[in-house]
Amino acid sequence: MKEKRIVLFPAFRKLVPANLEDWLERMAAEGWHIDRVRQWNSLWMTFKKGEPRKYRFVCDMQFAARKDYRATYEQFGWQYLGRMSSVRVWRMEYRDRRPEAFTDRDSVVQRNRRFVLAVSVSFTLFLIMIIFYAVQLTCFPDSLTESDRTQIIAVDALFSVFVILLGIVMLYIWKNRQR
Amino acid sequence: MSLDKARNRYIPMSETMFYILLSLREARHGYAIMQHVKELTGGRIVLGAGTVYSSLGKLEGDGLIESVAEEDRRKIYKITSVGSAILREEAARIAELYKNSGGLL
Repeated sequence: MKEKRIVLFPAFRKLVPANLEDWLERMAAEGWHIDRVRQWNSLWMTFKKGEPRKYRFVCDMQFAARKDYRATYEQFGWQYLGRMSSVRVWRMEYRDRRPEAFTDRDSVVQRNRRFVLAVSVSFTLFLIMIIFYAVQLTCFPDSLTESDRTQIIAVDALFSVFVILLGIVMLYIWKNRQR
Repeated sequence: MSLDKARNRYIPMSETMFYILLSLREARHGYAIMQHVKELTGGRIVLGAGTVYSSLGKLEGDGLIESVAEEDRRKIYKITSVGSAILREEAARIAELYKNSGGLL
């Protein structure tokens, strides 16, 4: 049996795409490998022990990839590991010059912008729910029983925490957009 | 996209965009663009897969290039008349820059 190592919430610990890539690279350099990326890998990743290797990883958020997406990367020598949600994960082995998939400032910023955009979807959904409940509480208080009211306040408070957290995540990625 | 709109969006343009448009005066796929640009710039600019893919998507969406064929899931692109017009205008702008910066070197 090969030695294994499980890491919980990798995508949440490394919120900035460049940090996730660097971390995967450090793991591979220590001989910890993930050869397939699947949907649930943002929640946990299983690494298998092997030979240390020098890999460059790239995380690319693509909501609706055109059909030449994979072929383009593969022709440049990238190996497709899979996707978690819309995040495609690629890797390439290298020796001296570390390969890059995004080679000018514009496309690096655009890549990071797509991550911010993805977070902003959940951000907006929670915000809409908060407003919806707040309107219900303030404009139609008579239609609610006391326990309804308590529940709605609790849910609204919870969603507010989510929205604040997601907002912080978006700001954090955006601050690191040049990387 | 109309020429005026394209002008607004693309002039001045990044080196990446300029060289991609320049390469696509001949029909090429993404990897061939990278090789051509690398050769043109003596290895100074080596475009990455993600940059090529997203630039091609943007240029195609705005009508500066079009896909003319497909082989092995790879799309082959070529510049359109709008793209050519933009490329010429950008070249003229760069020529002016070159002329005016002559005294500096």
